[in-house]
Amino acid sequence: MTVAALDDVRPARPPPAAPWHRRLVQAALYGDNVDRDRKARARLGLALLGFALIYCVIAAKLAMFAISADGHGSRRAGPGDAVATARPDILDRNGEILATDVKRPSLFAEPRRIIDPDEASELLTAVMPDLDTNELRARLGGKRGFAWLKREITPQQQAEVHRLGIPGVGFLTENKRVYPNGPEVSHLIGYVNVDNQGVAGIENWLDGQGLADLHRAGFASDRQQEPVTLAADLRVQHALRDELIAAREKYKAKAAAGLVYAVRTGEVVAMASEPDYDPNNPREALDKDRVNRLTYGLFEMGSTFKAFTVAMALDSGRFNLNSTFDARSPLHYGRFTINDYHAQRRVLNMAEVFTYSSNIGAALMARAIGIEGHKAFLRKMGQLDRLKTELPESREPMVPKHWAEVNTVTISYGHGLSVAPLQAVMGVGALMNGGLLIPPTFLRRSEAEARKLGTRVIKPETSAIMRYLMRLNAEKGTATKADVPGYYVGAKTGTAEKVLNGHYVRTKLLTDVMAVLPADDPRYVILIMLDEPHATAETHGFATSGWNAVPVAAKVISRIAPLLGVEPRFDLPPADRLILASARQTR
Amino acid sequence: MRFLHLIVVAALVSAAAYVYKIKFDSTLQAERVAKLRADLQRERDATASLRAEWSQLDNPTRIQGLVQRHLALKPIVTTQFDGFDQLPERPIPTVPDVNDPIGAMIELSTSDALTGGITAPASRSPR
Repeated sequence: MTVAALDDVRPARPPPAAPWHRRLVQAALYGDNVDRDRKARARLGLALLGFALIYCVIAAKLAMFAISADGHGSRRAGPGDAVATARPDILDRNGEILATDVKRPSLFAEPRRIIDPDEASELLTAVMPDLDTNELRARLGGKRGFAWLKREITPQQQAEVHRLGIPGVGFLTENKRVYPNGPEVSHLIGYVNVDNQGVAGIENWLDGQGLADLHRAGFASDRQQEPVTLAADLRVQHALRDELIAAREKYKAKAAAGLVYAVRTGEVVAMASEPDYDPNNPREALDKDRVNRLTYGLFEMGSTFKAFTVAMALDSGRFNLNSTFDARSPLHYGRFTINDYHAQRRVLNMAEVFTYSSNIGAALMARAIGIEGHKAFLRKMGQLDRLKTELPESREPMVPKHWAEVNTVTISYGHGLSVAPLQAVMGVGALMNGGLLIPPTFLRRSEAEARKLGTRVIKPETSAIMRYLMRLNAEKGTATKADVPGYYVGAKTGTAEKVLNGHYVRTKLLTDVMAVLPADDPRYVILIMLDEPHATAETHGFATSGWNAVPVAAKVISRIAPLLGVEPRFDLPPADRLILASARQTR
Repeated sequence: MRFLHLIVVAALVSAAAYVYKIKFDSTLQAERVAKLRADLQRERDATASLRAEWSQLDNPTRIQGLVQRHLALKPIVTTQFDGFDQLPERPIPTVPDVNDPIGAMIELSTSDALTGGITAPASRSPR
């Protein structure tokens, strides 16, 4: 090909003088007008070029070897290297380890190379009595090239098996995920399967962040990965969980859950849902009763939703603190009768509706705003859409399909709309922090970042009034038991009857409380929720929120406030004076 | 001419020897690097498992259990916190009376200055 091309470039001249027969032979052999000398020279040149190229390649390759001589035996991915790949450590906000990798040997066999399976299985069961003899023999007797015998054995067992000297049995070092704090942070970080793939919680989120791709490419085998720092504080988490366990036992509740949420940054500082599981033993997590009720559970939150209703009414500008509501007689809607639990049978003002937790008052407010306005407000507060966080466990809220006036009325006091508790906490956080709805996160976030992410949902003045209504409720409303002296706690209680077979059951309650700490300049919102608590002698036969969830909140607050750096102050005026002051400012 | 040949042969031999030496050294170095790397990895693994063990021992539930079993400590209450502005002034050390050494000793042993006693906190009404 190339030769022909060379020929084409310079057509050969006829040789000057050659005998005719020679010319004939040449023409017969090579064709007319071909200069053989020139052709030979061209071929030689081509050969030279070819060899020169080959030598260049060799030289270049040598140079490359010399440059990357570094890899001399360091990148030896030997057979003993990790199979289950490494994951980054997970730390809490103070650097405490929540999850880490530890190298553990695993025992494997190459059945094809095993001489006497019976003897081998006998020897192995002598060292590790927990191995099933029949299964082991079946595995060793097969014709496969590779079989796991036991994942994650102890170093002592490794030494003993090594001493047995069975041919065809070997060890692989694997990364084993360990959770030193056990069940303490279970729902937060989730867990991994035996191949170190995240199955739930933050572990699962990590896999979504490119770690799974790294694993597949085989790059994530050593522990040189940046640790992931969570927003959670292990100490706060422990205090919360400890109190929840105690409360669940004391009130014989089906479940207890709690959340500490930083309102200015949207960080979830602690989250516990009892019963939980030990991530070191993932089998426990499959139990349906151990789901994370705060993100995956849907609940009618009860009267805590009145905070939204009151905020909506105030923010619309059609109501103020002096607006009055006629709560003298129950409201009737078809087969529904709306009545007050703490019935006053008189005309109430806005603050009284909140502190007496008047269903009638809330219903009247929502009815005045109207269905569309109510819906739009709840949507703005993020209560009608699925909340997306780092945790994969989340669910769409249960919103009534046909939103009639009766729905608006019941939702105004927290019945008929089921949301994930974390979602409600996010909304209440927005009511407290000056009106910014900040999506909750389980990772560290600064205030500036949070402000950029947040959307304004209510006016700062409305938020100020809401704070002091919360405070007022802790001073002389339904949540007086939450008032830990010195911390200026504000709180709203909620008690919802649970739906069983389409009917509200008076004896099966969900009680919750949203507490804000401190109420004059909120930093944290704390949610405590008890599922079907029972009355005890101490609660005088009551099972509503003020008698169980609220005291638990008080205990939690008094334990965690010092950890969170909230200073106790004793010189703050009572809430009504502050409400008047803030109302005057806004006028 | 022969002399030149000798020089060239000598140079060749010495160059070969030098290259051999460098090669040998580099192999040694590479082996050392590999060994150090393996050591580092082992150390890192050991640190990781020790850290895991430490945080297991440091687990709040465990500490709380130990405290409840062995110590008489109680949870802190809000009234136990105080600001720096509430700190009492350092008491003025009393000058011992030189004329009455025994009396001065008695006074010292009972005075607040010696025991570091704290004056009664300013009365506050925790509502």
